[in-house]
Amino acid sequence: MISLQNVTKTYKNGVTALESVSIEIEKGEFVFVVGPSGSGKSTTLRLLLREEEPSAGEVFVAGKNVVRLSSLGGIPKLRRNIGCVFQDFKLLQDKTVFENVSFALEVIGKPKHVIDARVPEILDYVGLGEKLNNYPDELSGGEQQRVSIARACVNRPLVLLADEPTGNLDPNTSVDIMRLLDKVNKIGTTVVMATHDQAIVDAMRKRVIELDRGKVVRDQSRGVYS
Amino acid sequence: MRRIEFYFRETAAGIRRNGIMAFAAMSTAFIALFLFGLALIIAREINLVIEAVTGNVQVAVYLSDPVRPETVTRLQTELQQLPAVASVEYENKDEACARAKKLFESNPAITENVPCEVYPASFRVTLADTSQYGQITARLACEPDPTTHDITCSEPGVLKVLDFRDILDRLSAITRVLRNGVLFIAVIMLVSATVLVANTLRMGMFARRKEIGIMRLVGATNWRIRVPFLIEGLVEALVGAALAIITLFLVKVFVVDQLRGRIVWLPLIRNGDVLAITPWILIAAAGVAIVAGTIGIRRFLDV
Ligand SMILES: Nc1ncnc2c1ncn2[C@@H]1O[C@H](COP(=O)(O)OP(=O)(O)OP(=O)(O)O)[C@@H](O)[C@H]1O
Ligand SMILES: [Mg+2]
Repeated sequence: MISLQNVTKTYKNGVTALESVSIEIEKGEFVFVVGPSGSGKSTTLRLLLREEEPSAGEVFVAGKNVVRLSSLGGIPKLRRNIGCVFQDFKLLQDKTVFENVSFALEVIGKPKHVIDARVPEILDYVGLGEKLNNYPDELSGGEQQRVSIARACVNRPLVLLADEPTGNLDPNTSVDIMRLLDKVNKIGTTVVMATHDQAIVDAMRKRVIELDRGKVVRDQSRGVYS
Repeated sequence: MRRIEFYFRETAAGIRRNGIMAFAAMSTAFIALFLFGLALIIAREINLVIEAVTGNVQVAVYLSDPVRPETVTRLQTELQQLPAVASVEYENKDEACARAKKLFESNPAITENVPCEVYPASFRVTLADTSQYGQITARLACEPDPTTHDITCSEPGVLKVLDFRDILDRLSAITRVLRNGVLFIAVIMLVSATVLVANTLRMGMFARRKEIGIMRLVGATNWRIRVPFLIEGLVEALVGAALAIITLFLVKVFVVDQLRGRIVWLPLIRNGDVLAITPWILIAAAGVAIVAGTIGIRRFLDV
């Protein structure tokens, strides 16, 4: 599903964020990417999304060489197959919960009947069936993150990328969010999650890839944080 | 359908959010397009005057009544053979009358009170070399009359010769200066309008950078992201164009129409003349929108 082959990423300012990284992730896996700050976790996710291009090496997602994709059609199509969740939720404050999720389908041209069917369904799935018409500032952090997960999953992506999704949440809420991500993974979505959260990684016992200064220093199935 | 609705909603929201900037862009577009239209109308009006005064020829040879067909044939051939003459067109009395009627259509004082018989038949001469005008007067044995300043001729059947070269030159010069002057201001205003529209688009994109970021993230295409802004620019330019067209019609009704009938010899532009320039105003507005769109969203072209 995901394959990085000898990927090196050097930013324009000369910082080398990744150095000859090779990672293979199968369909349906749940993978933690851990490592100290600045080790290249976010960079790895941005390469998969084709927000950044590798300086050397190849990146494949769902069988496609993402470097070769065109910005006219290929990249948007890739991103429709990838859901994204971030530490800061990235919700639009002037839209309701329903509108935040429907926006993601609307802007890729999905017809109204699809939107009207799928949005309540996914919001129900993440446990927000009662809060369709609330605005983000009326929700707790955990609830906002659920909206963002709903938005990421509403188009039924093959891959879910999560960059420190529990970074802004207290431990109990974090556990709820992890349960939800696990549930999303169980229906076949490949999940890649960058995190600092030792308790969560240790509790979940999933595959762990550890980065340090841009290199893979550990790749362990059913691993722990360190 | 859904897509069109989406674009409409986004565009309306964009203009509302950009309120004051959008207003500035639209007013500038309006003034620019109005001046542009005004320049075209001034040119049209002066052309009407030129036509009224000269019939669009450089020299007219009027024939005295009654006109004899053999005189017409002979003189036409002879004039045609002069090296200075490019072309000679004969206009009989009926045609002269019809042309005057059309020219002063909006001025019944002339069309109703002047009988057709008074319009003389004429040769309408275009010169190949305007400096060789003397060949015509020499051939027809014409002399300036010291009292009336008319050029009267001894050639039988010829009433007089009118030399429009000077007046044509002057009127053309006036047209050029007026039209180019107004066009120059119009172009400067059009450039400002383009910059202002581009700026509203840019500010709109900046205000909505978070939304644009999410649209990219979930896989919206570049065009899906840009089109609402392009439509916004087009709407602003077209609102300016609509206001300009309305104002030009108002000028026609409240300025031009007030003159009608007061200056008897002056033909004036009509609704059709204003209507005829509206496509050019719309084209200029579209140009403003396209250029503004191209420079306004350039920074956001990358995925
Ligand atoms: N856009 C950028 N331009 C230049 N350098 C960057 C850019 N993004 C990241 N970097 C640098 O690349 C390195 C890796 O950054 P990255 O964001 O991938 O780390 P991270 O593992 O996600 O860290 P954190 O845990 O703090 O989020 C860092 O040294 C960072 O300063
Ligand atoms: Mg990071």
